[in-house]
Amino acid sequence: MSETVLSASGVRKSYPSGDRRIEVLCGADLRVAAGESVSIRGESGSGKSTLLNLLSGLDAPDSGEIRWDGLAPSAGRRARFLGMVFQSFYLIPELDALQNVLMAGRMLGSPGAESRARARDLLERVGLGGRASHLPAQLSGGERQRVAVARALMNSPSLLLADEPTGNLDERTGEAVIDLLLGLSRETGTALVLVTHNPAHAARTGRALTLHDGLLR
Amino acid sequence: MPWFLYLALKQLFPTGRRFPFFTAISVTGVALGVAVLVIVTSVMGGFGYEIRRMIVQTEGEVQVKANGLMEDPSAVLGMVRASPVAAGATPFVEGPVGAVCNGRPAYPEMRGIDVGSVASVANLARFVRAGRLEDLDDDSVILSWELAQRLGAGIGAEIEVYSPLLFERLKADEIVLPRRLRVAGLFEVGHQHLDSSVAYVTLRAAQELYGLGRAVHGINVRLKPEVGDAEGAQQLQAALPQGAVARPWTHKWESFLWVLNLEKTINFFLLLFIVVIAAFSVMSSLLISVVRKTREIGLLGALGASPRDVALCFCAQAFLIGTAGTAIGVGLGFTVLHFRNQLVQGIAGALQRQDTLRQFYHFTDLPSHTLPSDLILTVVLAILISTLAGLLPAWRAARLKPVEALRSE
Ligand SMILES: Nc1ncnc2c1ncn2[C@@H]1O[C@H](COP(=O)(O)OP(=O)(O)OP(=O)(O)O)[C@@H](O)[C@H]1O
Ligand SMILES: [Mg+2]
Repeated sequence: MSETVLSASGVRKSYPSGDRRIEVLCGADLRVAAGESVSIRGESGSGKSTLLNLLSGLDAPDSGEIRWDGLAPSAGRRARFLGMVFQSFYLIPELDALQNVLMAGRMLGSPGAESRARARDLLERVGLGGRASHLPAQLSGGERQRVAVARALMNSPSLLLADEPTGNLDERTGEAVIDLLLGLSRETGTALVLVTHNPAHAARTGRALTLHDGLLR
Repeated sequence: MPWFLYLALKQLFPTGRRFPFFTAISVTGVALGVAVLVIVTSVMGGFGYEIRRMIVQTEGEVQVKANGLMEDPSAVLGMVRASPVAAGATPFVEGPVGAVCNGRPAYPEMRGIDVGSVASVANLARFVRAGRLEDLDDDSVILSWELAQRLGAGIGAEIEVYSPLLFERLKADEIVLPRRLRVAGLFEVGHQHLDSSVAYVTLRAAQELYGLGRAVHGINVRLKPEVGDAEGAQQLQAALPQGAVARPWTHKWESFLWVLNLEKTINFFLLLFIVVIAAFSVMSSLLISVVRKTREIGLLGALGASPRDVALCFCAQAFLIGTAGTAIGVGLGFTVLHFRNQLVQGIAGALQRQDTLRQFYHFTDLPSHTLPSDLILTVVLAILISTLAGLLPAWRAARLKPVEALRSE
């Protein structure tokens, strides 16, 4: 079996609610191997986004352990290790498509000709080669999400985390984005954790998990 | 270029937006403040500079005086001229006289100049508007412009001059006649103080009017260009005999210059508040921007940005606004200064108040002299204050937790 990119063990997270605390995650475990694709389904409010935030190191669990390539998550490693795609795209409105993709690269230093070429290539691969100089406001929802996918892959991360990437898209556009995500992650050997409501999308990943009562199964 | 600087630039000047409205407003505020500071400090500096120019061009940088009369001017003159700091020296006699022409009286300040050596100190010929300095002899006088107008005396007119000595003699029951001098020229320096009531005569005529014999009141000295005023006076002093003192021009005008400087300092700090207020507007527009861009700030965190870099992104925006505003403000300030006379004349002309202007400000033209130190202080303070205005927005942006920022709607 290939090496583990991401591991989570006994992860717990609770939020204060009035004078009690609601337990969102109560000991979730997850191992993702390099290049593997995993889907996570669950009811709304079951804690899928909470889990992804912990996996991405943006938030810390109350207890339990997260490991990126066997090491604790750190902000300094995030740009290189991790790409993220969100339900609502989060493109920077002042930057055109190409610059939005390049923005991920800028986190690692001034982009050279090589980075620019890579960003162009990624846009080409998500089918937006001709829209490089368009601002997010000039793109459709599906096109924006494709730019976000290209941005997530910009730094050749080991892991891609996608939180309901098709949530704001119609069925056909959503299908195209899932095609891209699965296709590109397979092509580039990037592990993928995909949170989705759509059983059909979940079925296309290598492993389909469900988050229920704070546990991953 | 670090990403935060790139993004700061892009947020201020977004791609495809022809007119960045928020940026323009913030920059304009700073620019106006800086322009006003540049204009006011330059004009105030201009007053000081013009006074110096006027004094130095008519009297030299340093004045040597004895305790009372200088009985043997040629000895002192020789010492002064031998000094390595002096470029020229000329003796003078000065004092009030009474003058009458066409039955109109005036009490001008008389200045006796040594026609032979005055040019080594002062280029008086430059200011002579009618007649010629060379035509000045022991029986003639050159009047300041306004004095001539008040007396109704043109070139060639005869004026009667009464010196204090005549009154002494009258008391001794001598019958004395006033000295009759022919007007050989008119001069105008451009400063109300000098143009209102001064009469130049030859040194010999002045000595006779005051009954001085060979004595003079003092010696005006022109320093070599590379020698500072105070330093030159000090060096001369060391070379002078007992009883003689060398003083820089600033001595005579000390209180005036002090008040001028005080006014300038007060004005500077009051007007600096325009920049401070502009900085508040920069701060509030950046704070709005932090709120508007909360989700993008969260995204930057998800892309791997550190809170420090997020903070720097907003500080950089404030710095860029401050720098752009300062640059535009300096340009605007100098443009206004360049056209200041047209502007002032236009306003005064529209109000029919040119004469009032001249009376109150002593100058025919609005002076301007920008001290590099004033300019540097303005630029540094304006950029510093604007950048400080970015600290609060930067702190708020850095404090946002990416998870919460991304959740926010
Ligand atoms: N910062 C927070 N403070 C308080 N409660 C929170 C916070 N974040 C999440 N929760 C709660 O935790 C639970 C899980 O939220 P989460 O966003 O992870 O759900 P989800 O599975 O992603 O839902 P959805 O499918 O609707 O996106 C919810 O009940 C939510 O109210
Ligand atoms: Mg969610």
